[in-house]
Amino acid sequence: MKRTIFLLALAAATTSLTTIAHAQTADKRIALSNNYAGNSWRQAMLQSWDKVTQQAVADGTVAAVDTFTTADQEVPTQAAQIQNLILQGYDAIVINAASPDALNGAVKAACDAGIVVVSFDGVVSEPCAWRVAVDYFALGQEQVEYLAGRLPEGGNLLEIRGLAGTSIDNLLHEGIAAGVADNPQFTIVGEATGNWDQATAQRAVSTVLPSLPEIAAIVTQGGDGYGAAQAFRAAGRDIPIIIMGNRQDELAWWKEQQDANGYETWSGTIAPGISTLAFWIAQQILDGKDVPKDVTVPYLSVTNETLEEALAATPVGGVANKEYTQAEAIQAIEDNL
Amino acid sequence: MTDIALNQSRWHFSNWPVWLWSFLGALIVWVASFSLAGQGASGMLVAALSFAVFTVLVGLGQMFVITLGPGNVDLSIPATIGLASAVAMKVMDGQNSLILFGLLAALVCGLAIGGFNYMLIRLLRIPPIVATLSASFIIQSVGISYGRGLQIKPPAALTDFTFSRIIGVPVLTIAAVILSVIAWLVLNKTIYGRTVSAVGQNPRAAHFAGLSVERTRLLTYLMSGVLAALCGALLAAFSGGSSLSMGKEYLLTSIAVVVLGGTSVAGGRANVPGLWGGALFLFMVSTLLNTAGFGSGLRDVLTGLIIVIAIALAGSRSASR
Repeated sequence: MKRTIFLLALAAATTSLTTIAHAQTADKRIALSNNYAGNSWRQAMLQSWDKVTQQAVADGTVAAVDTFTTADQEVPTQAAQIQNLILQGYDAIVINAASPDALNGAVKAACDAGIVVVSFDGVVSEPCAWRVAVDYFALGQEQVEYLAGRLPEGGNLLEIRGLAGTSIDNLLHEGIAAGVADNPQFTIVGEATGNWDQATAQRAVSTVLPSLPEIAAIVTQGGDGYGAAQAFRAAGRDIPIIIMGNRQDELAWWKEQQDANGYETWSGTIAPGISTLAFWIAQQILDGKDVPKDVTVPYLSVTNETLEEALAATPVGGVANKEYTQAEAIQAIEDNL
Repeated sequence: MTDIALNQSRWHFSNWPVWLWSFLGALIVWVASFSLAGQGASGMLVAALSFAVFTVLVGLGQMFVITLGPGNVDLSIPATIGLASAVAMKVMDGQNSLILFGLLAALVCGLAIGGFNYMLIRLLRIPPIVATLSASFIIQSVGISYGRGLQIKPPAALTDFTFSRIIGVPVLTIAAVILSVIAWLVLNKTIYGRTVSAVGQNPRAAHFAGLSVERTRLLTYLMSGVLAALCGALLAAFSGGSSLSMGKEYLLTSIAVVVLGGTSVAGGRANVPGLWGGALFLFMVSTLLNTAGFGSGLRDVLTGLIIVIAIALAGSRSASR
C-alpha cells in the first residue's frame, strides 16, 4: 500500500515536472469542508467539484483534493470538522459554510495555522478568508425588477425565505427588500420559510396562504418555487408568477405551464459549479497570485427564451450548472481586482 | 363534600377524555389565526387536515414505540422519510403503472430500517435513543449516495390522488382516519396491542405473564419504520418530489404530537385520537405564527415555547390523574 502511494506520488511529481506552470502548487493539498449534501444543488456542487478537482490532481496541478461533508446542517459539526482539517495539515480549505459568523473562530484558527481559507456560496465574514459568491443582493433586486417589467401595476408579493442565519438568506432578503423599496407599487404581504426545499416550502406556504389576499407574484430563493406552486394548487388558488431557482423540477413545471397556458417567469441562482471556481481560486492563492478577498461572479439565469435549452442541458432532478476552468478563474480574479 | 360531588359530575373537566384537550388547543389557535387574518378559516382547516395526515402517520409509529416504555423512541423517522421517498420516486420513475411497485419498495425500505434499528437495540444492546439516532446517520448517508439529491417527479396519478377531495375533505385525510381507527383497534383489541401497553407498564411482569416481549418490540420498530416510509412516499407525491431533508421537521413533530395527544411518555398508555388533536394543534400554531408575520428566528423560539408549555400542561394533567 505504502509502495503504491509512493509510486503514485512519484508519478504525480513526474507529471508536474512537465507542467511547469503548476509547479508551485504540485505538492499542495486542498480540502473541501461542506455542511450539507441532501439536496440537488449540493449534489451537483459536489459532483462538479469531484470532476474538476480529480482532473486537476491527475494533471498534477495539485497533490491531493479531499471532500468532507457533514450530514447535518449544524454549525458545531462543521467547526469541529475544520479543526480536524487543520490538524491534518491541508494547505487550503475550501468551505461552504453553515453560518457567516459562527465559524469565524475555526476559520481564524486555520488562517493562524497558515492555511488558505476560501469560502464560497455560504461565505464566512472572518477577514482572513476569501469569499467567492454571486451577488445575491443583486439577485434579490433583479427578481423584483423583472416583476416590475411584468406587472407595471404592481401587486402583492409573497416572499419565501431560505435557511435562517446563512449569508445567502440575509443577502437575498435584503436585495428583495431593496427592490421593493425601488418599486413601491409592490408590497410584501407574507413570508414563509422554505429552507430551499420543495416540501418544506409547500408546508410553510400552506400555513400562510389562507390568511393572504390575492398574490401577484412570489419571490423565492431557489428550490422552493415548485413547492409554492403545489401549495397554491392544493388551496385551489390561481398560480401567480413564481420566480424559480434553476432546479430541473422547477424548469420542467415551468415548461409544462408554458405549453399549457403561456406561463412566463424568470429563474436565477448561483451555479453549483461555483465550487470549482473556489477550487481554482484556492489554487491561484497557493500559487502566490494576488487575489482580492471578495470574488463575485454573475449568477446563472434562465428566461422564457432560454428555458428549452436550459431544461435540455439539466439532468432530471438536478439543477442548471456551469463548471469553471482555471482560465475562467484567472479572468474572474482580474475582473474583481 | 360539594367539591367531590362536582368532581365526580360527568361534565366536570377532569372527567373529559384526555385527547379532548389537544383538539381544544387546536380549536383555540385556529380561531385566533383566522380572527387575526380576518379571513381564511376554511382554507386553514383544509390545509391543517391535509398536513396532519403526514404528522399522524409518523405519530402512530412513534406512539407505539414510546408506549413500549422508558427509553423507547424512534429518532430515525426523518431519515427514513428521506430515504423511502427517494426509493419510491426512483422506482416509480414518474410512471403511473409503477406506483404500486414504488409504494411497495418504500415499505420494504421502511421494514428494513425498522429491523436494523431493532437489531442495534437487541443484539448490540444499544439504548434506542442512540441506536435510532446513529441509524439515521447511516440511512441519511445511504440516501445521499442512492438518490444523489435528485428530485424525481412523482407519477401524475399519485399526485392527483394526494390532492383529491371528497366533499371538500382531502381523500388522504379520510384514509388516514381509517388507518387511525385500525391502529386504535390494534392497540386495544389485539394481543399485540395489549402486549405493547403491558410491556410499557412493566416489561418483567409482561415477560413473566408469558407475553412475547421481544417479538412485540421488533414488530413495533418495524411498524414505525413502515409508517415513516409510507409517510415519505405520500409526502413526495404531495410535494412534487423527494428530498432528503424533507423529513427533518418530523423529528420533533412526531414526538410532540404523541405527548400532546395524551400518550404517556413513560410508556404503557397510548392515545390514538389525541394524535389528531396534536397534529392539528401544531399545524395551527405554525399557521398562527406565520400569519402574525414574525421573523423566522422569533417563530422558532415561539414554536418551541408553545410546545414546551403545552407538553408541560399535558404532563401535569396526567400526573394529577
